[in-house]
Amino acid sequence: MSAIDYTQELSVVEGKPPLREIDELIIQPLDTKPDKNFFIALSITGSMLLLGALMLAWSFYKGTGVWGNNNPVAWGFPIVNFVFWVGIGHAGTLISAILFLFRQKWRTGIARFAEGMTIFAVMTAGVFPIIHTGRPWLAGYLLPYPNQHDLWVNFHSPLVWDVFAVSTYFTVSFVFWYVGLIPDFGTLRDRTASKIKKVIYSVFSLGWRHSNRHWQHYEMVYLVLAGFATPLVLSVHTIVSFDFAVSILPGWHTTIFPPYFVAGAVFSGFAMVQNVLIIIRKIFHFEHIITLDTLERMNKIILLTGMMVGYAYAMEFFIAWYSGVQPEQFAFLNRAFGPYMWAYWIMVSCNVIFPQFFWIKKIRRKISVMFIIAVLVNVGMWFERFVITVTSLSRDYLPSSWAYYKPTLVDGGILIGSFGLFFTLLILFTKSLPVISISEVKAVVDGAQPSHGEH
Amino acid sequence: MSDKTIFAYSALFDSPDDIIHAAEEVKKQGFEKYDVNTPYPVHGMDDAMKLSPSKLGYVALFFGLSGMLAAIILTYFTSVVDYPQVIGGKPFYAFPGYVPVMFELTVLSAAVLTVATMLLIFFKLPNNRHPLHDTNYMKAVSSDKYGLYIEIEDEKYDEAVIKSLFERFNAKVIEPIYYDDTEVEHKNRIFEPKFIIGLVLIAVITSGTTYFTLNKLMFMIPFSWMMDQDKIVPQESYELFADGFGMRNPVEGTIARGQLPYEYYQKPEEAAVALINPLFPTAENFALGKKKYDIYCSPCHGYHGEGDSRMRGQFPNPPSLHSEKVRDWTDGRIYHVITEGQNVMPSYSTQLSREEKWATVLYIRALQRSLNAKESDLE
Amino acid sequence: MSEPVNPVEYTKKELPASMSKIATALIAIGLIGVILAYLFDTTRASFNGLVMLMFVTSIGAGSVFLIAIEYLGGAVWSTPFRRVSEFLGAVVFLLPLLALPVYLNLHSIFEWTHLEVVEADKILSGKSAYLNPTFFTVRVIIFFSIWILFYLILTRNSKKQDSNGDQNLTKINIKVSAIFIPFFGLTLTFAAIDWIMSLEPHWFSTIFGVYYFSGTMLAALSFATILIVYLNEKGYFVKGISKDNYYSLGALLFAFVNFWAYIAFSQFLLIWYANLPEETFWYLARWDGAWKYVTISTIFIHFLLPYIVLAPQPAKKDPKRLIVASVIILFAHFLDIFWLVMPTFGKESFAFGWIEIAFPILAVGLILFVFVFKYKSENLVPIRDPKLKRGLNFRL
Repeated sequence: MSAIDYTQELSVVEGKPPLREIDELIIQPLDTKPDKNFFIALSITGSMLLLGALMLAWSFYKGTGVWGNNNPVAWGFPIVNFVFWVGIGHAGTLISAILFLFRQKWRTGIARFAEGMTIFAVMTAGVFPIIHTGRPWLAGYLLPYPNQHDLWVNFHSPLVWDVFAVSTYFTVSFVFWYVGLIPDFGTLRDRTASKIKKVIYSVFSLGWRHSNRHWQHYEMVYLVLAGFATPLVLSVHTIVSFDFAVSILPGWHTTIFPPYFVAGAVFSGFAMVQNVLIIIRKIFHFEHIITLDTLERMNKIILLTGMMVGYAYAMEFFIAWYSGVQPEQFAFLNRAFGPYMWAYWIMVSCNVIFPQFFWIKKIRRKISVMFIIAVLVNVGMWFERFVITVTSLSRDYLPSSWAYYKPTLVDGGILIGSFGLFFTLLILFTKSLPVISISEVKAVVDGAQPSHGEH
Repeated sequence: MSDKTIFAYSALFDSPDDIIHAAEEVKKQGFEKYDVNTPYPVHGMDDAMKLSPSKLGYVALFFGLSGMLAAIILTYFTSVVDYPQVIGGKPFYAFPGYVPVMFELTVLSAAVLTVATMLLIFFKLPNNRHPLHDTNYMKAVSSDKYGLYIEIEDEKYDEAVIKSLFERFNAKVIEPIYYDDTEVEHKNRIFEPKFIIGLVLIAVITSGTTYFTLNKLMFMIPFSWMMDQDKIVPQESYELFADGFGMRNPVEGTIARGQLPYEYYQKPEEAAVALINPLFPTAENFALGKKKYDIYCSPCHGYHGEGDSRMRGQFPNPPSLHSEKVRDWTDGRIYHVITEGQNVMPSYSTQLSREEKWATVLYIRALQRSLNAKESDLE
Repeated sequence: MSEPVNPVEYTKKELPASMSKIATALIAIGLIGVILAYLFDTTRASFNGLVMLMFVTSIGAGSVFLIAIEYLGGAVWSTPFRRVSEFLGAVVFLLPLLALPVYLNLHSIFEWTHLEVVEADKILSGKSAYLNPTFFTVRVIIFFSIWILFYLILTRNSKKQDSNGDQNLTKINIKVSAIFIPFFGLTLTFAAIDWIMSLEPHWFSTIFGVYYFSGTMLAALSFATILIVYLNEKGYFVKGISKDNYYSLGALLFAFVNFWAYIAFSQFLLIWYANLPEETFWYLARWDGAWKYVTISTIFIHFLLPYIVLAPQPAKKDPKRLIVASVIILFAHFLDIFWLVMPTFGKESFAFGWIEIAFPILAVGLILFVFVFKYKSENLVPIRDPKLKRGLNFRL
């Protein structure tokens, strides 16, 4: 048992590095030519992306009949993937906004990266409802604008709420991310030797001068943005859950869906951030900034949110029985013991059982094990959306229309393509922008703040 | 060097404590046009510089409420005024259902517009022409030094005083900052050929893309509004079948729903004997017969069957339906005429169903009876 | 091993005599009212007793939860205040006492205790494996004992630390808190289902436990805030507590006001939208007659009013506005429980009279009395808590 001294605050950045070293460490991937591994990784994700693009082109050419979606299960893979990717995005905003409001300093090392993941995940997610319409180039019809048809969108439709929620979420996350990047662009601009880079950085830095008269407003705006992003991130997955829960389908219509979806989103998002961070800190030698303590805290949050998700599963089951409503009871028995029981038990074991290993401190601090558990959590959370979407639809009130949903190869190709898109963007991001916020990390290095706070 | 215009006098410090002291002192001395530049926000600096609290919170409040108001107006106008629809049995303006949209628009407007206000109005960015740019001072403060500068325009500006002040606070580098030459002689570059060529290029590319999209792309698969589909349109040829027709004949003996074949073509006498009116003379059947008679028969035969055509000689007048010949015909015989036509009268098979034809026959019988009533009808 | 922590300089001041006088007076008035109420109209009094029981549960169990999340989250700003929650948490000992009169009148409160009704009703007889007096009693005993057990462990360790300054006690408490959280989640949920949701045994809502939890947090936090701000302004704590500590307190309160609204709205929207008769009747009962105005006023008192009071940045640092907001929230939570429970009693109209006033008076008096009682024997500040100094130097 190693003794922890609770009288001292744990330093967020290990070893008190000089500020200039932080610059160099973070900016190094931007200044050096990409190595072989980079191109290998990029070509793998690029081919995945290409596969997805080809499958999509084929779907558009032939029509959505090439997917597995059938008559009762009209929401197949596209919606499952949509909910999964939106969920992945939530961890980023949680880390950057909610933990900011809670003044958790350990967030600084991972916030920028997680925000980037949010943006890429929301972009990936946004693809799916649009392709699910079958003719994505007509997606503009989803927006309320005065038109010749004299029609308006139905503001009561949760699908319209989705349009508003996801596009607002993307915009605000992007603004949040960019606002955080401005000072770093300023630093990049002043460091770079290349002329072209300098022009680019100057344009994006907007001529930032690190002025304290600006910092004052900047911090205020950051607080305001965090204050707005926090309810926003809750609302997004809440609205995604409304897609299901405002219906009257057993297994979809249950009041716990909003907080349950949010907890699930945070759960899967943290797992994904964990996975990617473990790789990134290894490749770019960020061990001092993304410390083991940070990873351990992430694991604790994974454990906590995993238990919340488990609570929701249990509550759904209990209340389904308690309600005495026959279709409700059937829906849940069908989930656990029906034709999709394999998916259900993958979900339960990955989401509820495996994260329990994080009760053990050694496992929380063992990188290889936490990586595996995080992967399992992502698998489990994907299956959670699959279970919710497919089991309820495939066996609804009308037994005559029951059918088994089987995804096709095209569905699989598009799913792989979505991972390709996400990771391609992520890999390009690591080489083009500082993946750790330079100015924020500097502010939390030991000795960065004046020692005499009292005035 | 000396011909350059000086902008400010600057000092660089090594530690956050030094810069806080320096800033406090500079403020105390009564300087106004000075600023502190640090690689990250230093806590306590706002107090040291005695800056009044940021007003951006109010800006966010204003934009947030505007966004919410916009959402209320949008939802109310579209779903109550312009396009009211009953959805899910809810009233037109069912408030809870609009809360999500209202919330999202509030956040969108507050977040985006507050940031825009800060950058564009509070900071007057983008501005890459500030004299601080590209100075050693800037390069130092954007990395690991803490800088402070006092502008020459400050009322209390005095080089010697400032220098000694900076030295007192442990400043590591003290140097003046000059305006850049291009900053002093700013030229208008709108009419440079490069800029104009760029504009022309943008115009060509935009219009070309628009033309291509609207006139070509929208007629290609899959953008062509589903005009091309994997199916056979009626009348189309199709080589899979031996006869080359896309349409197939139904199996021999197939009868379409509601279309019994008429067995007495060219056989009026047989029809007269074999066909019997299946309809009872009820009020509904008479009403149906009258309706159909008035639509299809009356233009030539007249409303009362007297052959008083309304066609004004554009079509030959038929004889009266009250003639003895017609009165003596059986129902089947009249039915046959309606079905097949007679002389110049065409067939009404396509216009009238079987039931309607019999109803019409009933009505004709009623018309005949009305002019030639029998004694027994009075009873 | 880490060094034992040196105590922070702290001199204990006697609480103003008025505080215990107020507590005694409230208890006296309340108790007379409550006893009369039971004599006068037992059913109505039992329903009110249930409201009081749930309100005190919110404060008690909620305070234990607050202690646990402080340990678990490693928060330092709240360490100087933690004892307030520890004192308030002691009301969990009162819960069995308060539950007793309700328990004795179980038959007049809960429809599912009527055997003949249950037998005639297919849905209710389906639930009888869960909703029956024996199992109910077992569950209630489990809830109370879990809360009391964890309360005892957490506060014992905290108290022990005052004398020896052992950092290991903090470590143990962190572990205990981690174990407590899942227990707390389940017990509170089922307590809410048993005591409140089963009043309408046909109604069900999966979010109900979360809904009651959000109110619990608010009630425990706002009661603590009132005492913290009042005592700190009078100088009962140690030196060093700054506006930034207040700010964090206010921000947490603000966050939970929003959280409650979020949960309440989610539950309402889904039921309203889907419009299934087996769910909507619960809301319709709260839209009948005078209940309509109670429902609408809940939105204002529980959400909009505290939201407006707490939203501006300076408000979260201002002692006066913090107290105002806390009083509103505390009242709102009582109203909320009243709104959850009482429509089952007064199906047509809502009853309000001296009986309804007597119970909250007794509740507040009892909680205050427990606080004064605990204060006498313990320090208001955990003087040798390792996080205390950091908490006193806490800056945003």
